[in-house]
Amino acid sequence: MAAHLPLGYSVRNVLARPARSLMTATVIALVVVACALLLGLIGSLRRTLIASGEALNLVVMRKGSDNDGSSQVTLEAYQMVRFLDGIARDAGDQPMVSPELVVQPFLRRLDGGRENVLVRGVEAMALPVHPEVRITQGRMIAPSAGEAVVGRGLVGRYEGAVLGGELRFGRGRWKVTGVLDAGGSSFESEIWVDARELGRDAKRLFPYSGVRLRARDAATMAALKRRIDADPRHALEAKPEVEYYASQAESADVLYILVVGVAVLAGIGAGFGAANTMYASVQARTAEIGTLRAMGFARGAILRAFQVEAAALGVLGFVIGAVASLVLAYVIRHAFGGVGFSASTFTTNVVLLRIGVTELAVAFVLAVVVGLAGGIAPAWRAARLRPIEALRRA
Amino acid sequence: MSWTRLVLANLGRNPLRTVLTAAAVALAVALVSLLLTMPAGLDLILDRFASNTRISVHNKAGVVYPMPYAFTRKVRQVDGVVAAAAFTWFGGAYEEAGRVTFPNFAVEAEHVNAVYPDYAIDPGQMAAFLRYRDGAIVGRGTLKKYGWSLGDRITLKSTVWPVDLDLRIVGEVANDTAPMLWLRYDYLDEALKKQGWTGLGIAGVVWARVSDPKLVNAVMRTVDDLSRNSEAETASETEKSFFGNFFGSLDGLVRIILVITSLVALCIVFIAGNTTSMSVRERAGEIAVLRALGFPRRTIVQALVAEALLVVTGAGILGVLLAVGLTGTLRTVAGWNQTLGPLGNFMVTPGVVVQGLLLSVAMGLTAGIAPALGAVRRPVAEALREVF
Amino acid sequence: MAEPLIVIRRVSRRYQRGADDVHALEDVSLDIDGGRFVALMGPSGSGKSTLLNLLSGIDQPSTGEVVVAGMRLADLDEDALAAWRARHVGLIFQFFNLMPVLSARDNVALPLLLTHLDRSERTRRAETALRVVGLSHRLDHFPRTLSGGEQQRVAIARAIVTDPDLIVADEPTGDLDARNAEEVLALLRQLTDQFGKTIVMVTHDPRALRFVDAAYHLDKGILLEGEAAHRADEAIRRAAGQPERRP
Repeated sequence: MAAHLPLGYSVRNVLARPARSLMTATVIALVVVACALLLGLIGSLRRTLIASGEALNLVVMRKGSDNDGSSQVTLEAYQMVRFLDGIARDAGDQPMVSPELVVQPFLRRLDGGRENVLVRGVEAMALPVHPEVRITQGRMIAPSAGEAVVGRGLVGRYEGAVLGGELRFGRGRWKVTGVLDAGGSSFESEIWVDARELGRDAKRLFPYSGVRLRARDAATMAALKRRIDADPRHALEAKPEVEYYASQAESADVLYILVVGVAVLAGIGAGFGAANTMYASVQARTAEIGTLRAMGFARGAILRAFQVEAAALGVLGFVIGAVASLVLAYVIRHAFGGVGFSASTFTTNVVLLRIGVTELAVAFVLAVVVGLAGGIAPAWRAARLRPIEALRRA
Repeated sequence: MSWTRLVLANLGRNPLRTVLTAAAVALAVALVSLLLTMPAGLDLILDRFASNTRISVHNKAGVVYPMPYAFTRKVRQVDGVVAAAAFTWFGGAYEEAGRVTFPNFAVEAEHVNAVYPDYAIDPGQMAAFLRYRDGAIVGRGTLKKYGWSLGDRITLKSTVWPVDLDLRIVGEVANDTAPMLWLRYDYLDEALKKQGWTGLGIAGVVWARVSDPKLVNAVMRTVDDLSRNSEAETASETEKSFFGNFFGSLDGLVRIILVITSLVALCIVFIAGNTTSMSVRERAGEIAVLRALGFPRRTIVQALVAEALLVVTGAGILGVLLAVGLTGTLRTVAGWNQTLGPLGNFMVTPGVVVQGLLLSVAMGLTAGIAPALGAVRRPVAEALREVF
Repeated sequence: MAEPLIVIRRVSRRYQRGADDVHALEDVSLDIDGGRFVALMGPSGSGKSTLLNLLSGIDQPSTGEVVVAGMRLADLDEDALAAWRARHVGLIFQFFNLMPVLSARDNVALPLLLTHLDRSERTRRAETALRVVGLSHRLDHFPRTLSGGEQQRVAIARAIVTDPDLIVADEPTGDLDARNAEEVLALLRQLTDQFGKTIVMVTHDPRALRFVDAAYHLDKGILLEGEAAHRADEAIRRAAGQPERRP
């Protein structure tokens, strides 16, 4: 029968006992930080692994390979593919086909240790076929000049991995002429050099690992794929580039299990912690609640008021946690640089921990849910207090 | 009446609060333990490979760059080398097309046992490996994961070589943590030749055992000297160093895990500290009376801290147990994962248990100390004045 | 004649309460002999509780000296005072006397935790003390199942279990009804008569005058003496409808 208690009542109660509210909010905040960091990490990893992939590109590899690091393509196979019908052509009427050689040499890390790095030998058609890749500093390599461009994610991670620096890997030295930017995709964890030079240096029997090509349109892409898969002479398979990278990203999916585990455990734990302080709050305000009930406010109104308080604490926790996690992510980025992950090519994907809007949105929901869940039982107890009982206890 | 009874009785003062606190702490400790199993999994692998007489010889440019197969013989002939076996990555996928779910190598069957005597492979099984060209030796963890037994036949489709191989499981290695499978070098070589290729001809890594740990450095230097200025210059390193480097890039992830672990631990201190504060505040009157009666500050602080310690440590034990259960599930669900590597073993080692318990004790102490000290901060007379 | 048990010489106590400077006691001197049951009386804020705290070693005076059983309390620091109290003083309060989580027996045994007695000895003494106050049938009861009067009697048992030189009680009957108050006062009287205990009690209760050997009156921190004391005494008795008593 009686109206809702005003929102201000709940909010003011949260602010009235700052120490207790802050304690509860901080517990929720810590859960927010933990989840935001992990989600940010996985999000960054997924964003990296899914190199967006061009919609009309096909990745051609040896049948049975799962990535272009373990595949081999002969010169004849490349020549065959190159002149297939349906491949897009550039302004100079050249088929947009990029043969590439992938090798994984050791590179020495500046902060100690060594890693396998994905070095991609490319030819002139590489940049047109991969439109998301741009040289943002310096210039692209010239063929047969012993040059290299370094992905943005690798700059500063290895000796010489900087514009104008000299990289040492394989059996040679490579002069860094540029830095490549690829919209946060995995290409930013690669080094690009001349395919022929790389083949010589690595003493490869096969000149290329794979071929990437641009189809004219979706229908032709499907036809091209069928044609390549069915080729009798060369055991090849073609995969749409988007699909190719999507399957790489699947290996990161197991990390989501970890996040879910962390979120559930931490969330429930924080929920219990929040319930604790809310019970104490209810106990301390027994007289006040009794008075409200005596005045005529219905049980539902009391319940709602306390739930609003619980949600408010969740929101407060989210705010504290969001700020803290953004700060932490910043510190981690600048103090430790990128986090290395091992890719299916056994090379390192360097991921910069970034917390984006999606991650914060999930964390917000988590915080409010934890607050509400923790507050349910205490709110219920508050609502069930009978006026006379409450007044007597006072 | 004894101190124990007093501390325990006080915990029963507000059972709901004690239970809620314990539940929160137990879950948080479970989480901490879970997270700690990750770097522990890495340490476990590295310690396993602490054989201090085994070295790896690989191309200086990278493990993906091959060495000529003939080099293996040269390594074998170096003074101090007891045995050497060539390993080549087969990259075979089992059932899941194009996806390698456990490491598998083509190895020199006649030499591998002498290089890995610590694997203690049953001699009968080793003999079968030598007898059957299509034989395979599998790690126990891998056997269990796929439900294979000795005698089973499986097919591996290589993602690196243009062949599929049918294998017969003839032996096992008692290894539950690191997945592995060995097949025979000559079997792969033959299969390639049958397809029209010129055979294997290369070695990816040569694993060698040195007779004496003191000779290891000298042997490594000699081997690298042998290959200097050749087409495939080598870099030798100890087994431990090899795997340390191999998993080296995981340190970034480990760091973040440890940051999160610390945050969760902080959370526990907050929760438990909050509870203790509330409890202390409620008992202001009683505590004032106890001090008036003549209980020294130190004793009251000890009793209050003991209460916090009891709850947190008890909950901590529950949390560790919970973690043991959870990791079992996680392990089954996650499997061997490329991204996590050994971090994904999720194995609760004794080290993790000890860490979890010690952390609980430390957190209990920290949580209890501030409110406890606060309870006895003011002089008795003032404390009495507050309550009366 | 024996030395007085408690000697209070020109004692003042001033302290800060928030922004105010409180002068709780001014230049109070008092001797109390052993084996007597005395009351400290006066209106609210007269300083009687403060005086009680000083002579029981809970507080230190700002100026002046307190000597109890030959011990100059000023010589002891906070922890030493606590130890001294544990051995020499038994305390009874108006509220919060008992720990709600312990039985009557365990509550009485509480101060014995500070001694070196073993568990069975502690239990034995607690039971003895409870027998003295007539609560042998309530050994295992928790405070919430005891009446107000019974709770105070348990508190009294606790006060005597260490066999202290001095027992102090701060408003012990303040929260009790008439019948229970009389029982408690009678019990205290019995302790002095039968066991020679020295008891100093702060009280508002006019009934106390029937049981104590002497009453001291305080007003605004000053100890009333002579004519003023007599008048205060009389006023209380008249208010309670009691006959005058020769000091």
